[in-house]
Amino acid sequence: MSYADWAVLAITLSAIILYGVWKSRGQQNLDSYFLGNRSVPWYIVLLSIMGTQASAITFLSAPGQAYTDGMRFVQYYFGLPLAMVVISVVFVPIYHKLKVYTAYEYLENRFDLKTRTLTSFLFLLQRALSTGISIYAPSIILSSLLGWNIYYTNIFMGGLLIIYTMYGGTKAVSYTQSLQLGIIFAGMFLAGYMVVKLLPADIGFSDALHVSGKMGKLNVIVTDFDVKDRYNIWSGVIGGFFLALSYFGTDQSQVGRYLTARDLTESRMSLLMNGLVKVPMQFLIMLIGALVFVFYLYFKAPISFNEGLIRQVHTTEYAPQMQALEQRYDSLDGVRQLQVKALVTALDAKNEPAIRDAQAGLKVSESAALQLRDEAKDIIKKANPAADTNDTNYIFLHFVVNNLPKGLVGLLIAIIFLASWGSIAAALNSLASTTMVDFYKRMYKPQASDEDYLRASKLWTLVWGVFSIAVALFASNLGSLIEAVNILGSLFYGTILGIFVVAFGMKKIRGNAVFWGALLAEVAVIAIYISNIVSFLWLNVIGCVLVMAFAAMLQPFLPSKTIKSA
Amino acid sequence: MMEDHQHEKAPLFGRWRSWYLLVIGWLAALIVFFYLFTKHYS
Repeated sequence: MSYADWAVLAITLSAIILYGVWKSRGQQNLDSYFLGNRSVPWYIVLLSIMGTQASAITFLSAPGQAYTDGMRFVQYYFGLPLAMVVISVVFVPIYHKLKVYTAYEYLENRFDLKTRTLTSFLFLLQRALSTGISIYAPSIILSSLLGWNIYYTNIFMGGLLIIYTMYGGTKAVSYTQSLQLGIIFAGMFLAGYMVVKLLPADIGFSDALHVSGKMGKLNVIVTDFDVKDRYNIWSGVIGGFFLALSYFGTDQSQVGRYLTARDLTESRMSLLMNGLVKVPMQFLIMLIGALVFVFYLYFKAPISFNEGLIRQVHTTEYAPQMQALEQRYDSLDGVRQLQVKALVTALDAKNEPAIRDAQAGLKVSESAALQLRDEAKDIIKKANPAADTNDTNYIFLHFVVNNLPKGLVGLLIAIIFLASWGSIAAALNSLASTTMVDFYKRMYKPQASDEDYLRASKLWTLVWGVFSIAVALFASNLGSLIEAVNILGSLFYGTILGIFVVAFGMKKIRGNAVFWGALLAEVAVIAIYISNIVSFLWLNVIGCVLVMAFAAMLQPFLPSKTIKSA
Repeated sequence: MMEDHQHEKAPLFGRWRSWYLLVIGWLAALIVFFYLFTKHYS
């Protein structure tokens, strides 16, 4: 990086930390620390919800996914708007009416303490582990790209955000997220503009779309039904709906965001606006990836976008093999450039037979290039068996670092930090609030002073921050990290959602039945995942349905002594 | 819960049901647009 890049990086990160500390001064009790005194306007809550969901990997991995697999990943978000409506109708009014700090408080009111504790525990378990991965994922990319030590990068990534999250609580998280998202959107817009601008002068935006489409990258809708296929319209709408319902309705990292809103109306507005903007936003991010694909048809692409791994191979006995492979790969460049030019000419002339010929030729070259990329991965694996050869997360980053002007590279690195911080800060805040409200205050010290609770809340934020960094230090060999986080979530979200669905919709079910039903369902979900019968998105549906079924079956045999109502 | 829900006035449209229909209708329109987009460029 140049001095200009370092300056941009340092100024941006410092400004965010100072802004977070300044906006959140004057914390006095749990209400101000975890709910911001319920005074945050809906548009800040909206940005906070979006900033919590979108991690650095979202902005890096999504364009890379469009490059390799096309835009069908967008379908993953189709269930989200429907979930926003259901949460606005069912979940939010109850949370506001009961004036809860965490979603799990409601479960004691509706069932009993053990069901509340089980659900809080499941949340803490999956959120703590996935937060560790959320720190590790951008750190490994930065360390590979910039040659930084991975351990120090993890500590730097996690350590800085602990400062303002611990000091300022939820208000610091919300206000920094809104600023972070503003910077991120500006950076992504700039990157998108630059992709089109850097294409050859005779290639316009429309030509680029046609080329990308002809190469199968604009496959936004896939209608074929296959339970093992991760991204099609059916898994997106149904599985995505259950995942979003559980994530936004019962995961404290999100519930804690919209509970900070001034009232029920503002909570609902933030969620419904999220339902309106999320899908188009994801579409535009992935469109950048589909255009980057066209860019690399015209300009030389590396055999692996994780060039740190290639450099490593060149220091081993496998260097000659890799060099030969790279030469073969480079020789394809000239061929592809001629073929893409022929395709554009045919498209402009609307000459259908010529379009089909050029498209077929380009696809043959592409599959030859893909084969060489696979061979390169094999060599990397031989040279370094511990290496993660999946380079999807590096594609967009490679484009930016090698093609954007000085200063913008520093901005992009800052964006990686900011996007990571947004989601991790909300996660730490939710881990601390759940620990404080559902365990510390409920079971350990129910009658302590405001000062004591505030001090303990800050301490627990620090503890969870250190724990997450520790998880990040040990995380490796997890394959695609965005998928690892999603799979981890899907293992628990279905069960947690099932408990809430029973609470809201099955009035005759009591605490004992739902508690044991949830435990059985969790065991079944883990068994199904290990058996690899269905794609992970369906685990959310299965977990939820199983809790409902088991609870209904067990209820006649496990009557509760006390009956509580919502 | 339902009483709170019904008495609370929604911004702009006055009724929350209109907001819910807008979100669902917007999703349906996006899916149709994406379908046509996929067909047009494939």
